[in-house]
Amino acid sequence: MEKKIVVILLTLISCFLFSQNKLPSISLQNLNGEKVAINSLDSNKNPIILSFWATWCMPCIKELSTINDVYEDWQDETNVELIAISVDDSRTLKRVKPMVNGKSWEYEVLLDQNQELKRAFNVITVPHTFIIYKNEIIYNHSGYTPGTEEELYDTLIKHTR
Amino acid sequence: MKNTFTLIFLLFIKNYIFSQLTLGLESNSQWYIDDDKIILSEEDAEDRLRTNSYLKADYSIGNFDFTTQLEIYESKSLLNYSPDLNGIDLGIVQAKYQNNKRNLEITAGHFYEQFGSGLTLRFWEDRQIGINNALLGGRLKYSPVEGINTTFLSGKQRIGMGFDLSESTLYGVDVETNLSTLSSWNDTDLSLGFSYVGKYENLEKEYDLLPKMVNLFSGRINFSKGNFYSGAEYVYKSKDALVEYGIINQESQNTGNALLLNFGYSKKGLGTDITLRRLENMNVYSETGLGGNIYNTGVINYLPALTKQYDYALQNIYIYQAQSNLSFDPLQKAGEIGGQIDLFYKIKKGSAIGGKYGIDIALNGSYWAGLNGEFDILDRSYDTDFLDFGEKYYQDIGLEIKKKWSKKWSSIFSYLNQFYNKKYIEETIGEVKTNIAVAETTYKINRKKSIRMDLQHLWSDSDTKNWMGGTVELNFNPNFSIYAHDIYNYGNDDDLKQIHYYNFGSNFTKGSTRVGVQYGRQRGGLLCVGGVCRIVSEASALTLNISTRF
Repeated sequence: MEKKIVVILLTLISCFLFSQNKLPSISLQNLNGEKVAINSLDSNKNPIILSFWATWCMPCIKELSTINDVYEDWQDETNVELIAISVDDSRTLKRVKPMVNGKSWEYEVLLDQNQELKRAFNVITVPHTFIIYKNEIIYNHSGYTPGTEEELYDTLIKHTR
Repeated sequence: MKNTFTLIFLLFIKNYIFSQLTLGLESNSQWYIDDDKIILSEEDAEDRLRTNSYLKADYSIGNFDFTTQLEIYESKSLLNYSPDLNGIDLGIVQAKYQNNKRNLEITAGHFYEQFGSGLTLRFWEDRQIGINNALLGGRLKYSPVEGINTTFLSGKQRIGMGFDLSESTLYGVDVETNLSTLSSWNDTDLSLGFSYVGKYENLEKEYDLLPKMVNLFSGRINFSKGNFYSGAEYVYKSKDALVEYGIINQESQNTGNALLLNFGYSKKGLGTDITLRRLENMNVYSETGLGGNIYNTGVINYLPALTKQYDYALQNIYIYQAQSNLSFDPLQKAGEIGGQIDLFYKIKKGSAIGGKYGIDIALNGSYWAGLNGEFDILDRSYDTDFLDFGEKYYQDIGLEIKKKWSKKWSSIFSYLNQFYNKKYIEETIGEVKTNIAVAETTYKINRKKSIRMDLQHLWSDSDTKNWMGGTVELNFNPNFSIYAHDIYNYGNDDDLKQIHYYNFGSNFTKGSTRVGVQYGRQRGGLLCVGGVCRIVSEASALTLNISTRF
């Protein structure tokens, strides 16, 4: 009987531990050269948007520029944080920092130079945007056309209210 | 009791497996249909329906991660992909153990990796250009203290399907030290790196003059303070055999080297970056005989063209490719030297010119030339001076202006001027000068519906002369769009080559799933992704792309 209880307890613990959508244990550099561990991103209280993009991807830049115009409002309303994951490789990598600054984007930018995180998320094409909340992917969308940001916003509002 | 136990055990297993399993599927199919202008060669026409498909599975249990990728190329791989990609087979099998407390990671199986900027080593996958040069072997990553990262690896390179491996064995060591982390500086960042890559290849007896080891050594430094940043990397390659037209010439052995310099300054609203690079005889392949192959099979290091990757079709007709190899026939080339510059500027919101939304301006330029030197064609030997610019290979100047007029209207204007030395880049004949103008506008019809249009024109007095093009894209909502696109070589001297390369298509997206259908003509020439190019031939096809993840 005792054994049974132990097993049930273990099962429950395993459910608790493993039913969460674990973020990949990959570390990427930010624009200041600091390493950021993806699985240390905390989405328990506030949602996180992970947006995969590249300097050579026109729709990506349109998406991030559009969100940048309303980012302050989104943050006030939902406490969301957008993390822009650049998949630029060393051909265009050096363009990331001046472009982000040149466009006055407010986002935390991480560099996925050899597309490790892109592969871990099974991202095939950029842009591909994920909303992560309470450790779960609650929304994701590939591609950008004007209006995609409205869907993102609607999803954020729905889940945080 | 036993039943209960089994049930609980199954539950346990289920939790372990299903909650941590993710799958990714990508499938690209083409059905080649001849039309009145574009007809496939007899050989290619034997397999008119072709698919490249990739099914990838990742699962993790505790500290272990497992990845496997199944690849299917049926009836053959898509046109112009390497014929070695054929049939159904595993592409990737990987097991990874990670211990974050000990800062340790051990990988066995196939893995991807990059040292520094990739000048010495880059293993990666790019399905669009058919590259998967993963290493099959072992890798250890260890960080003894925060701020010092080391990587050790060894294995054989994938040169076809997952278990088609190179004859050689590769070894690599990379050490990166972040001095600012070690000494906790605040606004200053200084890091140093060192890489070693070795290739051991024991060729047949007739090549006994060749060195069995080819070694690459590299040192790099990155420094940034406040708004300023800079970096430098130098690579030395030990003696390697000359390969021309796939033939190994063991009498001619030469060293190689690379120097990469980068400077930048950026603050809110302004960013600028300058990159300078010199490459001399820097190609390395996991099998010497693969030198210069058109499918990029067996590449060990990454030598991308450092030019801006442009967005529009007509801007991508004359694309520069890095000239890093040594050759004597048909032309004498030993490498390249040059640089590029970028400037990003935002005219502020609310200013007289900027208007309500501001204006984004991007200016870029690049200049690339060959290395001047003395070439002894008979001896297959040469000599270059370090800063001696030779034949001009490529030059471009581009300007892009993005302006949002109102909540609904926005536009992009782009101008590009290019010089393209076709003789040296493609090893054919001629030089091309182009002027390209593009205007694009997007109108938001309602909250989720929009229309996008662009018009493009290319002016040139040489090669295929003038082109024009345009796109109309209707986005009904974020999940559904249709488009029509055409480029037309109306200026071609040869009437038969005045072809419309039209494409019609539709994209459907729902969450992670994306389906695209397209019918049309593909222009022959270079298809470049991330600075690596493959040659594609003209084709008319119905294309279906499906991708999903779960």
